[in-house]
Amino acid sequence: MIDRPAQRRALLWSAITAVLMVVSLFGIFFVAPTDGDQGIIQKIFYFHVADAMAALIIFAVAAVSAILYLRTRKERYDEITTVSIGVGLVYSILVVITGSIWAKASWGTYWVWNDPRLVTFLILLLLYASYFVLRSSVEGERRLRYSAIFALIAFASVPLSFYSVRVARSFVHPVVITNSGANMPTSMLVWFLVSMAAFLALFVAVLQFELVQMRVGKALQKLKLQLEGD
Amino acid sequence: MRAQPHAGRQLVALLRKDLRLELRTREILIAMLLFATMLMLLFQFGIGERAQDLETPDGLPAQVTDITPFIGGILWATIALTAVLGVGRAWVPEREQRVLDAILVAPVSRSLLMSAKAISLYVHLLVLELVIVPVAILFFVRGIGPVQVGAVVVVCLLASLCIAVLGSLMACLSLYARAREALLPVLFLPPLVPVVIAASGATHAATQGTIDMQEYRGYCLFLAIYALVFCLVAYATYDHVFDD
Repeated sequence: MIDRPAQRRALLWSAITAVLMVVSLFGIFFVAPTDGDQGIIQKIFYFHVADAMAALIIFAVAAVSAILYLRTRKERYDEITTVSIGVGLVYSILVVITGSIWAKASWGTYWVWNDPRLVTFLILLLLYASYFVLRSSVEGERRLRYSAIFALIAFASVPLSFYSVRVARSFVHPVVITNSGANMPTSMLVWFLVSMAAFLALFVAVLQFELVQMRVGKALQKLKLQLEGD
Repeated sequence: MRAQPHAGRQLVALLRKDLRLELRTREILIAMLLFATMLMLLFQFGIGERAQDLETPDGLPAQVTDITPFIGGILWATIALTAVLGVGRAWVPEREQRVLDAILVAPVSRSLLMSAKAISLYVHLLVLELVIVPVAILFFVRGIGPVQVGAVVVVCLLASLCIAVLGSLMACLSLYARAREALLPVLFLPPLVPVVIAASGATHAATQGTIDMQEYRGYCLFLAIYALVFCLVAYATYDHVFDD
C-alpha cells in the first residue's frame, strides 16, 4: 500500500530543501551586499521576489498539469494541479505579507494601491482561492474536469497581471527582471536564485508528500469499503 | 438522411433561440437594467455625497454633484456586478426545461454551443450599456462631447467582449455546482478585476475634458489582449465543458 520509492523521493527533496534554505539564509544575511539606500530591510527582497517568482512557476506547473488532465483524464494530473495550486496559494499569501512589510519600511504604509504587482498578487490570491470553492461545490468526474478548466482560466490571468504593470504605468515598484535581463548586481542575483531554488525545492518536497498521502488515503478508503463489503 | 446544417447556420439558430427567449420573457434584461440603475444610485449616495470633500485643481471646493473623476469606476463596477446576474441566468432556462439534454444529444459542436452563449451574453451586455452609459453620463459627467462618447463606446465594445467570453465559461462551470448562486460571483469576479481596472481607466481617460490618448490606447490594447487570451482559452476548453 505504501509506495516506498515515492516516500524516498519525498525525503530526498526534503533534505535538498533544508540544505538550500540554510545556504540561502547564510548567503542572504552574511555574504550578499547590504543595499546602500534601504539597508537591512532590502534583505526581504530575497524572500519577497523569489517567493513571487516561485509562486508563478508553480501556477504554471498547475496549468500544464491541468492541460495534461484534460488530454489524458488521468487522476494523477488532477492531484498535481490541486497540490500545486494549494502551495502556490500559500506562497502568494507570503508574497502579499512580505510585500506589505517591505512597503511599510520603504513607503511608510502597509499597502499601496498604485502598485499593480502587489495588487495583482492579491487578485491572484482571490482567484486561486476560488479554485477550492469550485472544487468543493462540484461532484464526481466533473469536479476534476471543471477544476482543470478553472486552473487554465486562472493561469491566463497571470501574464495579464504582468502586462497590467506596464499599462498602469506605475513607477512605485522596482522592476527586478527586465527585457534585458536581471536588474541587480551578480552578488545579489546569485543569492536571489538560491533563495528561489529553495522555494521551488520546498514545493517539490510538499508535492511528493501530498501525492504519497493522497495515494495512501485512496488505498485506505478502498480497503475500508472492502472490509465493509465483507 | 438529411445533411448536417452548416456551422454558421447552427450558430445563428442557437443564437436566435436565446434572443427570442429573452425577447419573449424579458426576465434577464429588465432585471439587469433595474439592478444596474439601483447600483449607480447607491454609488451616488455612497461616493457622490463625499465629493464635497474634494477640491478642484485651483484649490476650490468641487461641486457636490460633480463626480466626473469617478465615472469610470462607478460605471464598470456597476456593469461587472450586473453581469453576474446575466451570467448566472445564462444556462438556467435550458437546465430548468431540460432543453440542455436535447441540445447536447443534437449533432452540434460544443464550441458552437458555447460561442452562441457568449454572443448572446455580449448582446445582452451591449443592450444594457445602451441604456446605462447615457444614464451614467447624464447623471455623473460634466462637459462631454461626441468624440468622448465615441471613445466610451469603443471601451464598451471591448470590455463587454471580455466579460461575455469569460462569463460564458464561468456560467458552465457553476451550472452543476451546489449553491450555484453563491459560487458564480466568487468564480467570475476575480478574473474580471483586470477588465474593470482597464475599462475604468480607459473611460476615465476619455471623459476628463480632452482624451489622454496614450493612457486610453494602453488600456484599450490591454482589453483587446485580454479578450484575445480568453477567446483562446475558451476555444481550447469549450469542448471539455460538456464532455459528459
